[in-house]
Amino acid sequence: MPDSGYPWPIETTRLDNGLRVVVSEDRTAPAVAVNIWYDVGSRHEPAGQTGFAHLFEHLMFEGSVNVAKTEHMRFIQGSGGSLNATTNPDRTNYFETVPAEHLELALWLEADRMGGLVPALTQETLDNQRDVVKNERRQRYENVPYGDAWLRLLPLLYPPGHPYHHATIGSMADLNAADLATFQAFHRTWYAPNNAVLTVVGDTTAAEVFALADKYFGGLPSREDIPAAPDGRAVPATGRPAVETVTADVPAPRVYVAHRTHAFGTPGYDVTTVLATVLGSGRGSRLYQRLADGERIAQPDLVGAYGVDLAHAPAPLIATATARPGVSGDRLCEGLAEVVDELATVPVTAAELDRAKALLSTMWWRQMSTVDGRADTLGRYATQFGDPARAGERLPAWLAVTAEQVAEQATELLGAADRATLTYLPEETS
Amino acid sequence: MTLIATRPGPGAARPYRFPQVVRRSAAGGQVVAAHLPGQNLAVALLLLDGGAGREPVGKEGLGGVLAKALEEGTAQRDATAYALAIEALGTELVTGLDWDSFQVSVQVPVDRLSAAVELLAEAVRTPKLDPADVRRVRDDEATALRMDWANPGPRADAVLRADLFGADNRWGRPMYGDPESVAGLDVDDVTVFHSEWFIRPGTLIVAGDLDRIDLDALAATVFTGAGGAAADRGGPIEAPVSDRRRIILVDRPGSVQSTLRLGHPSPHRAHPDHVPMTLAGTVLGGAFTSRLNHLIREVRGYTYGIRGDFASSRRFGRFAISSGVQTAVTAPALVEAVGEVSRTQLTGVTEDELAVARSWRAGQLSVELQSPRAIASALTTLVVHDLPDDYHAQLREALLAATVEEVSAAAAAHLHPESLTLVVEGDSAVIRDELVAAGLGDVVDHRS
Repeated sequence: MPDSGYPWPIETTRLDNGLRVVVSEDRTAPAVAVNIWYDVGSRHEPAGQTGFAHLFEHLMFEGSVNVAKTEHMRFIQGSGGSLNATTNPDRTNYFETVPAEHLELALWLEADRMGGLVPALTQETLDNQRDVVKNERRQRYENVPYGDAWLRLLPLLYPPGHPYHHATIGSMADLNAADLATFQAFHRTWYAPNNAVLTVVGDTTAAEVFALADKYFGGLPSREDIPAAPDGRAVPATGRPAVETVTADVPAPRVYVAHRTHAFGTPGYDVTTVLATVLGSGRGSRLYQRLADGERIAQPDLVGAYGVDLAHAPAPLIATATARPGVSGDRLCEGLAEVVDELATVPVTAAELDRAKALLSTMWWRQMSTVDGRADTLGRYATQFGDPARAGERLPAWLAVTAEQVAEQATELLGAADRATLTYLPEETS
Repeated sequence: MTLIATRPGPGAARPYRFPQVVRRSAAGGQVVAAHLPGQNLAVALLLLDGGAGREPVGKEGLGGVLAKALEEGTAQRDATAYALAIEALGTELVTGLDWDSFQVSVQVPVDRLSAAVELLAEAVRTPKLDPADVRRVRDDEATALRMDWANPGPRADAVLRADLFGADNRWGRPMYGDPESVAGLDVDDVTVFHSEWFIRPGTLIVAGDLDRIDLDALAATVFTGAGGAAADRGGPIEAPVSDRRRIILVDRPGSVQSTLRLGHPSPHRAHPDHVPMTLAGTVLGGAFTSRLNHLIREVRGYTYGIRGDFASSRRFGRFAISSGVQTAVTAPALVEAVGEVSRTQLTGVTEDELAVARSWRAGQLSVELQSPRAIASALTTLVVHDLPDDYHAQLREALLAATVEEVSAAAAAHLHPESLTLVVEGDSAVIRDELVAAGLGDVVDHRS
C-alpha cells in the first residue's frame, strides 16, 4: 500500500489579502497548470437565482479592466495553452495549462478577472452569454433522451431550501430574469482573494510562483464578510421512498436508483466510493454480472454506479440501468433494487474488494498523470479541507476500506425507505 | 484599483521535447515505445490493421461487434473469469477503431503491465467467439446503436457522409455502422474478420517508464503465435466535390435545437498541404477563438458552440462544421456559417489570427501530450502514417513557420463554400420554409 497518493512536493503560502497559493514543482514536461478554485457554487444561490454561479463563470471569459472582450481566450490559445472552467454545486474552478514560459501571462489574466471584472461587465455581454447558456441547457439537458435525469434526481434527494435541491444549470425562468446589478454584486461578494485558492503545478518553482502571485494578486482587497452557504449537512430522512416516473421520448426504459450517503472527504464517503465501484464499475461489478450478464435484462454498455463527489452535504450514490428490448421498466426497477439491497445481505468478497481497489488505484494515478489533473486535486483539498497535502490521504483511505464497512453502510444508508427511484418509460408509439 | 495594466511577455522558451522513442523488431512483430521516466502508469496498445476501412460494404459495425465479443471468454477462461482477472489488475480492456486501425489497450500501474498485456493478448489472439455469445453481443450492439441514434447527431452525420462519399462505398457509410447494418451481421462475418485481421502481428505501442518495462517480454506475449504479412493498405481516394450547394433536411419533430452538419470532401492525410490546411481550419473553426465560434456563439448567441475542421485518414478526408443551434435561428445561423466559409476561402487569414492558430497548435504538442494514454495515441499516429521519431518536433516547426500566404492559399484551394452539403436535423415543420427562403440551395427532405 503506498504511503501517499501524492508523492510530489507541495508548498503553500497565504498572501496578506488571504489568497492561498499552492505550488507543486515537476520538471518532467515544459508546461504549467494554473488552477483557481473559488469557494462558490450553485449551493450558494438563493431561490429565484438558480443558474447564476454557472452563468457568472461564462462572464469571467468576456473581458476585465485590462483585458478586452475575446482577449482572454486569444491570449491563452495564442500562447499554446488549453483552458476551461466548470461550476458545480460546491464550487467554481478556472484553469489553463500553458507552455511554462507563459506562466506569468496566465497569472496576470486570472488576477485581472479576480480584481477587475465588474467595470468591464456590460448588459450586452450578459445578454449574449445568457443566450449561450440557454443553448447549453437545450443541448445538454433538453434535446437528448434522459438528459434531464440529474435535474429530476436532485429534488428527489434533497428537500426545497437544501443547497443541493436545484441543479447548477438553473431554470430558464431564472436565467431570463438575471439582471446586470445582481451579477456585479455576485462578483463583489464571492470573487475575493480570501475566497479562492490558486494552484500551480509543473515546470516552475514555489519561489517564482509566490513572487508572481504577490505581484499580480497581492494588491487586491480581501472581503471581510463573505456569507456562508446554507448548511445542508443534515438532511432529515422522510421515512419513505421518493419515486418519480417519467413518460418521454426515450428509446428504452431506464431506471436510476439514488441514495444520500456521506460528504466527500469523510471516511464514510471513502466507503461509498469503494461500494460504488464494487456495485457498478466494470464488467466484474455486481450490476454488470447480475443484470447485464446473468439475468440479461439490462443493456451492457449502460449499467453502472457512481458517487457524485460533493463535499458540503451527504453526497449522492447513483446506480442506473437501461432495459434490454422486451424488458419492462418494472422488471428492471425490481432487478436494480435487488442488487443494491444485496450489498447489505450478501457479503462483499475479498476478490470483489481487491478488484474495486485496483480500479480505483488506476483511476487515481490517471488523475495524477497530468499537471492539470494534479492542480485541480490540490485546489480541491486546499479549498474544501484547508490543506492540499490531504490529497495524499485519499488513495490510502480507499485501500483501507473493509468488506464489513461496505455492508454496514449498505444497511445503514441504502435501505428502501431512503431510496429515490427515477424511471423513464418510452411513450406509446402507434 | 491595484491591478497591473501591462500584459507580461513570455519568459525564456523551454526547448520542445517529445519523449524518447524506441523502435524494435521482436518476436516477429514491431514495437514502438516512448520512455516516460518516473511515470507510475503505463499504457500498452496493440495496433492492428483492422479498422473500419477493412469492413466489407454492408457489414458496417463488424469491428465494434468483434471488439465486444473479444471479452466474452477466451480459450482459457469464461467471460466472468476474464473480467475479474483483468479488473483485478486495475484495468479494463479498452478497444477502439477508426478508419485506419483497430486498437486494443490496457492502462495500469507499471508493475502490473506484463500481467495486463498477457490478458490483452489472450483476448485478441484466442477469443472463444462462441456463436451464441457472438449473436447476443451483436444484438446488444444493435440496441446500443439504436440508443445512440435516438440522440441528435448520428443521423445527420450519416446523411452528410453518404452525400459526400456515396453510400455504395464503405467510406460513405457510418464508421461504427448503423443499427440495421449491425443487426444484419452473422457469426461467420465476425469469425472471418477476426481470422483475417486479428491474427496478424500488428504493432505493439508502449508508453511508460521503460526502465521498469521489459519490451522484449511484452513483444513475445503479444506476437507469439501471430502470423501473416502486412496487407496492402490502398491508395488515396479522390472524392469529387459537388457541383452545387444544397440542404438536406432530416426531420426530428419537437427538437428544441437544430443539429447542423456542413461539409465537403477534402484531401487525405499525406497531402502536402496538411499543415497549412490544418491552420486554415483552425482559424475558421478549430478553436474557441475561431471565426465561426466568435460570430455564431460570442456575437450572436445562437449556440453553445460551433466547430469546423479538416479531418483526414490515410485514404480520404473531409472538411466539416458541426453545431447545435436554437431552432428559431436555424436559417440565420446557416447563412452566417456559410458566409464565414466563403470569406475565408476568398480572402484568406490575417497575420493576427494565424499567430494565434500556429502558437496554439504548436503549444498543444506540449500541453496535451502528458499522460501515457496521450503519448500512446501520438505513437499510433507515427505508425499509421509512417512518420519518423522526430515527427512531433518537425510538425511543431512546420506549424510555427507557416505564412499567411501559404495558409490563405490552402484555404482558397481546399474550402469549397459553393459545394457544401448542409445537413440540418431538426423540427422540419418549424424550420423548412425558412430554409427554403434562405436561398442557400435546394432543400431536399431526407427519407429514412
